Amino acid sequence: MTVPGPWYLVLAACLFGIGGAGVLVRRNILVMYMCIELMLNGVNLTFVTFSRMLDDLGGQASVFFVLVVAAAEVVVGLGIIVAIYRRRTGATADDVSSLKG
Amino acid sequence: MTIFAGTAGPGCTISNLVTSEAKVSGLCTAKGSLSIPVEYRSIAPVLILGVAALVLLVLSATLPKRRYPGLWAGLTALAGIATTVDGIVQWANLDNPANTALTVGGQVLYDHFSAFFAILFGCATTLGAAISDSYLSREALDGPEPYVLMLACSAGAVLMAEAAGLITLFLGLEVLSISLYTMTAYHRRRAASGEAGLKYFILGSFSSAVFIYGAALVYGATGSTQYFEIFQFLTGTVVVHDGVLLAGMALLVAGLGFKVAAVPFHFWAPDVYQGAPTPFVGYMAAVAKAAGFAGLLRALMLALPTQVSSWRPAIWVLAVASVLVGSVMALVQADLKRLLAYSSISQAGYVLIGLQAGTQAGWSAASFYLFTYLFMVVGTFAVVGLTQGRGEVRNDLGSIRGLGQRNPWLAGGMLVLLLAQAGVPLTSGFLGKWLVISAVIGKGQYELALIGMVGAAIAAFAYLRVALLMYVPAAPTPARPGQPRGEGGGEPAVAPTGPGAPSGLAEVAGDLEALATAGLGATATAVALRAPSTARLRVPRATAAAIAVCVAFTVFAGVSTPVLSLAHSIGLTWSL
Amino acid sequence: MDQYLPLLLIFALGLVFAVGSFAASRMLGPRPRLNPAKLGPFESGIAPRREPPARFPVRFYLVAMIFIIFDIEIVFLYPLAVMFNQLGLFGLVEMASFALVVFVAFAYLVSEGALDWGPGKRAGSRSGAPVTRSVSATVRRVSRPGAPTPQASPWAARGGEAAAAAGGPAASPASAAPKARVVG
Repeated sequence: MTVPGPWYLVLAACLFGIGGAGVLVRRNILVMYMCIELMLNGVNLTFVTFSRMLDDLGGQASVFFVLVVAAAEVVVGLGIIVAIYRRRTGATADDVSSLKG
Repeated sequence: MTIFAGTAGPGCTISNLVTSEAKVSGLCTAKGSLSIPVEYRSIAPVLILGVAALVLLVLSATLPKRRYPGLWAGLTALAGIATTVDGIVQWANLDNPANTALTVGGQVLYDHFSAFFAILFGCATTLGAAISDSYLSREALDGPEPYVLMLACSAGAVLMAEAAGLITLFLGLEVLSISLYTMTAYHRRRAASGEAGLKYFILGSFSSAVFIYGAALVYGATGSTQYFEIFQFLTGTVVVHDGVLLAGMALLVAGLGFKVAAVPFHFWAPDVYQGAPTPFVGYMAAVAKAAGFAGLLRALMLALPTQVSSWRPAIWVLAVASVLVGSVMALVQADLKRLLAYSSISQAGYVLIGLQAGTQAGWSAASFYLFTYLFMVVGTFAVVGLTQGRGEVRNDLGSIRGLGQRNPWLAGGMLVLLLAQAGVPLTSGFLGKWLVISAVIGKGQYELALIGMVGAAIAAFAYLRVALLMYVPAAPTPARPGQPRGEGGGEPAVAPTGPGAPSGLAEVAGDLEALATAGLGATATAVALRAPSTARLRVPRATAAAIAVCVAFTVFAGVSTPVLSLAHSIGLTWSL
Repeated sequence: MDQYLPLLLIFALGLVFAVGSFAASRMLGPRPRLNPAKLGPFESGIAPRREPPARFPVRFYLVAMIFIIFDIEIVFLYPLAVMFNQLGLFGLVEMASFALVVFVAFAYLVSEGALDWGPGKRAGSRSGAPVTRSVSATVRRVSRPGAPTPQASPWAARGGEAAAAAGGPAASPASAAPKARVVG
């Protein structure tokens, strides 16, 4: 039994939607980062599913780039948090949640 | 397997776009030995900027740790000049139409459009480096890092302009955006800078995710992420259920709309502009907008021209909202950087108007607008960076008060730049607005032309307020705005020397004050009248040169036609 | 059987690397003398009843960031590996230049001191932020009957330096009254 392609698309859309809602609703910055990652992974799943449905490798190759970009983005985000921290006294990321991103 | 067969429409033959071997399609090919021809000539601007960034990194890692005044900025400006020159060489090379091609495995478009934007981003890098140097040493932030980021950002921007597919566009977009997030947060000792960087980062990566999801949906609907393959599919096929395609297009437009700060995706812009280091804001406003619009123009005009009836209404709404909201909100700002942020939103609206026309005239008008706006905005923010003082203590409207006395030359330059942004004739700003509006009149959209003109008139008030404040004497005056004529104005401590400043006439000074703050709320008025020191403002040499170039170009492009004809010939390669 | 030789070689290399890393850190690194008192959490002498919430110092993020970058760059080796025969020398050169770019970033990191470890040194020299709370600034090592003198431990010596550099309240010897410690 195979799962039909559109189901994956729906799942990907759900992931993207949950991530998007999380970015807009949550106030903890780390959770917001995670939500952005969730969005990008929804995109990845969409690419892979379409790639399979269209029988074209281009979509899978795109996933590589999205992955790398996602990693670079998170690194920069963490870097900004660290930079903010150097100005404050405090040791954990819980304390920047007051910024209301 | 050919990328393309036949023509893409009237006036655009595709035969010369296909690479020599025509073997390469998208990201993957058939079995067998694969040789990807890499035409280094076509990606030379990206390479120059990228390699320059790496050279700076290596130098900073190997040179002894101490301050090198001017070294990093000088190298960056050099790379910017090299990019500009290379763009001009490319342009000359492309005058032979046979050289226009799809290169580097079909990922890069080598045409007048990419050469034009290479020139634009080269200029932006040079000017950005020139105005950043004195700011960074004033704030004790100097080092190679901001220049590495600036070079990387420009490389990403050039990549966006020459991308031939959505994935390459996404890569360019991310290189650009990630550099900009870091540049925004670069001022380590200013809390607003870090906060702005964080905000920009969250909203920017959100919009990037939206964009790439749009690209994924377009890929699903059309089977490719390459512009020409999408176009070919859409011309050859009648899409019956186009829900996925429509959603994909909407997300693409929304994602890029974030980057160019078009209403309703603009809400990050004022906060980020306010928090980021001032010279970087000038650079960012120019480069991020130009790159975002270059990507949007390419994607909509090359990949999705068949769906023009779907995207034109969306762009129409964005354009009108940006022009009106940007202009009106600029009127009520008490912070100079916020005011300029809203003004840049309204300027983005005009580019969108040109884009919305969907014609060659609109295309070249938008390109011209972006090119001239670069010089206006970089120059304006350079002046703001000088008047705000160490630590960016004064960003409010009052910080510019009395600039006509403190440095008449600087005030004169700022006046020209502000008038250009307001669209006063004999400046490039007027020509840009005129081209954009005549492009939509050419399409018979008189209502849009009218809205554009109304928006320009509203925005002109905001610019004129800043211009007037520059010539209100810097000495504190007891007069309150709105007081009856003839009572206002104390004795100016220093006799005004500025070209427009009426010497010693307290009465006129009071009138100016009243005029300059007309319509502002009580708090904003008080802020706008808080005078800075009356000491003469010294302008560092590199910054002065950059501002002079900006002003000279703004006047030059406004009264003569070379830049105009350059922009006109962009549209010749492609048309709908 | 012959075609499995490279696989075996890779496996052996991996093993050598793993064992070598452990051995090197054992031989080159400082050797704290651990005992139950040192390994236990310090909570003002009261035995903890539950697990403390995990609060990582921000500095750990720096390492995580550096790791992610170099980790993800490797992703591009997979497509190269798939297409290696078709791409030939061209692919190798392109990948080498890509690796060079990554290496430049690494050289920059090293020169900026991102990989300099140890408490106090970075905090004192670079950022200028006061070290108000850190393990070395707040934890005072006291002698225990029957245990070796605390000065023998390299941790104690370094902790003392950091506390002195930070100038916090913990640095004054007067406040260093012996504290009772209960190990749970």
